[in-house]
Amino acid sequence: MQETTEENWAASVDTDSSRHDPLDRTALRDQRNFLVISAIGLVVLVVAPLVVSDFYVSLLTEILIFGLLVSGVNLLLGYTGLVSLGHAAFMGIGAYTTAIGTSLLDFPVWAMMICSVLASFLIAYGVGILSVRTKGVQFLLITLAFGEMFHAIAEKSRVTGGDDGMTNIPRIDLEFLGLDADHDRVFYFFVLACFVIAMAVLRRVVVSPFGRVLVGIRENEKRMLAVGYTAFPYKALAFAISATLGGLAGSLWVQHGFFVNPHLMTWQMSGEALLMVIIGGSQAFFGPLLGAAFYVLTKDFLSDLTEAYLLFFGLLFVLVVAFFHGGLAGFAATLARRMRRGSAKQEGDQ
Amino acid sequence: MTFFLFNLLNGLQLSMLIFLMAIGLTVIFGLMDILNLAHGAFYMIGAYFGYVVFQATGSFWISLAIAPLLPLVLGFLLQYFVLQPLIDRGRSAHLDMALLTFGLLFFVIGLIDFIFFETLGLTFMSIDKPAGLDSYINIGTFYPSYRLFIIAVGFAVALLVWVVLERTVIGAVVRAGVDDREMVRAMGVNVYFVFAAVFALGCGLAGLAGVVAGAELSIDINMGVQILIPTLVVVVLGGLGSVKGCFYGAMIVGMTETLSQAYVPALALFATYMLLAAMLVFRPQGFFGRAPKTV
Repeated sequence: MQETTEENWAASVDTDSSRHDPLDRTALRDQRNFLVISAIGLVVLVVAPLVVSDFYVSLLTEILIFGLLVSGVNLLLGYTGLVSLGHAAFMGIGAYTTAIGTSLLDFPVWAMMICSVLASFLIAYGVGILSVRTKGVQFLLITLAFGEMFHAIAEKSRVTGGDDGMTNIPRIDLEFLGLDADHDRVFYFFVLACFVIAMAVLRRVVVSPFGRVLVGIRENEKRMLAVGYTAFPYKALAFAISATLGGLAGSLWVQHGFFVNPHLMTWQMSGEALLMVIIGGSQAFFGPLLGAAFYVLTKDFLSDLTEAYLLFFGLLFVLVVAFFHGGLAGFAATLARRMRRGSAKQEGDQ
Repeated sequence: MTFFLFNLLNGLQLSMLIFLMAIGLTVIFGLMDILNLAHGAFYMIGAYFGYVVFQATGSFWISLAIAPLLPLVLGFLLQYFVLQPLIDRGRSAHLDMALLTFGLLFFVIGLIDFIFFETLGLTFMSIDKPAGLDSYINIGTFYPSYRLFIIAVGFAVALLVWVVLERTVIGAVVRAGVDDREMVRAMGVNVYFVFAAVFALGCGLAGLAGVVAGAELSIDINMGVQILIPTLVVVVLGGLGSVKGCFYGAMIVGMTETLSQAYVPALALFATYMLLAAMLVFRPQGFFGRAPKTV
């Protein structure tokens, strides 16, 4: 009798804990959703280049590269709540590191890709230490200042061709696999591999205790301080990690287009990265990728109109900020929830 | 010596142009907490509308008088019917408004490109300088008289803004609003109207800067972004919300840009940004800004 009661009690505690620990359940559901979405996404990204024309393979490559950049931006914007207006500079640092190393110093591309990642990480860590002491609008302005400083260096530097930039940058040598990356489809799969690895790392960062601290900082920095977390080192590291993704994106970008010029590093570029994140949805892990896809495809669609594509983007951006904070991803999630609820209701009716 | 004088005046001229932009930006921020990144768009609207009016009437002076009205009205409508309602519905004034106005800047650039370049095929335009201001004046060196006019306009506006803010009831309300918004509201002032009016005047001054600049520099699609950056630097240097800081900040930035270009070209693009970065690292509230209340 005694035993059964205890067992019952233990059992009731168990069910209680699973019912009343919302964090665990949300985390589990989140993880499940993440796996499902990544699996579907990966299948699409693997199959798509096999069925579309060469031109669209090139666009898909661009989407992945921008996806890397803006997923990094989102670690700051969506998870930590910091708006950076200088992230294009880190893409530029990655791009120029690869370009200088391969075309001026004759190092192999794979080595320079590693250097690009390291360089953007280290430089961003330095910039981060100086920048994250400020927040809000001031953070936006200081990142803008640093970004424009790096842009100015690229404009001035004579070895890298100043405003004209550098051309004839080689792509990675995949001969050991019997492949030639100069073929756009092969290069696409190489970019996809980099993308998957980087996103897996980013996912680890986001769900780790470190990532939780970042979200805590976004929600309430004072409270985080009260429970013993000094925000500063976390923010600096988040800044560096987010810029590293930009660095990798830059390194892939020069290989994709075989050239680089300082225009890649302007603050308009940083601004457009923000556009992609916000339009795609800053609350969702893959939101920025959606935004990048939307951006690349729409820009291509409107490419006859030169700068006028900004008309459309600017308006959309305003609408998203004003009315749909979730962006495209948020919209999709609401739609999915409605459909699920709808089907559940149908089942209930039967 | 004459070379130095020449550059000094150029610096002053640039300072005044930036000041016209920055004064609106900083008062708007001080009063409403909105970092209006669309300020560059209002500058463009002023310049392009100025060009249209100039083409229609052939007079620089009419264009100078009429063109700033469009950004003024648009600024009022934007603040009163878009930004303020959104803030009331819970959008953060700080970041959401910075992002929203940033999107607006892109939108206006795209729209102007669509109208003037795509449709009308115009790229680089300019407004003709008025008779009497289109020549050179001998001040030891021959100096374009129009640039002296820009300097004069800048000082006149600075004086006017100072008088309005420090010596009139409107100014008192605005200054009180910067200090303590809620209190002003409690005193029975229609703050929203004051907000919109100040926003409008700031945009109008940006438009004025646009017309004035349109006769000296070329009117093109990049002009708004080009002026916005030094303007932001000025506002940070002077301290967000500080009128006095804005004036000195504009001087520092205008001089730094011009003199570095003249004497140390290698540093030209950098100097301003280094200034900005150093300021934000060591004294984030700017020269005249108040230190943040608490962490």
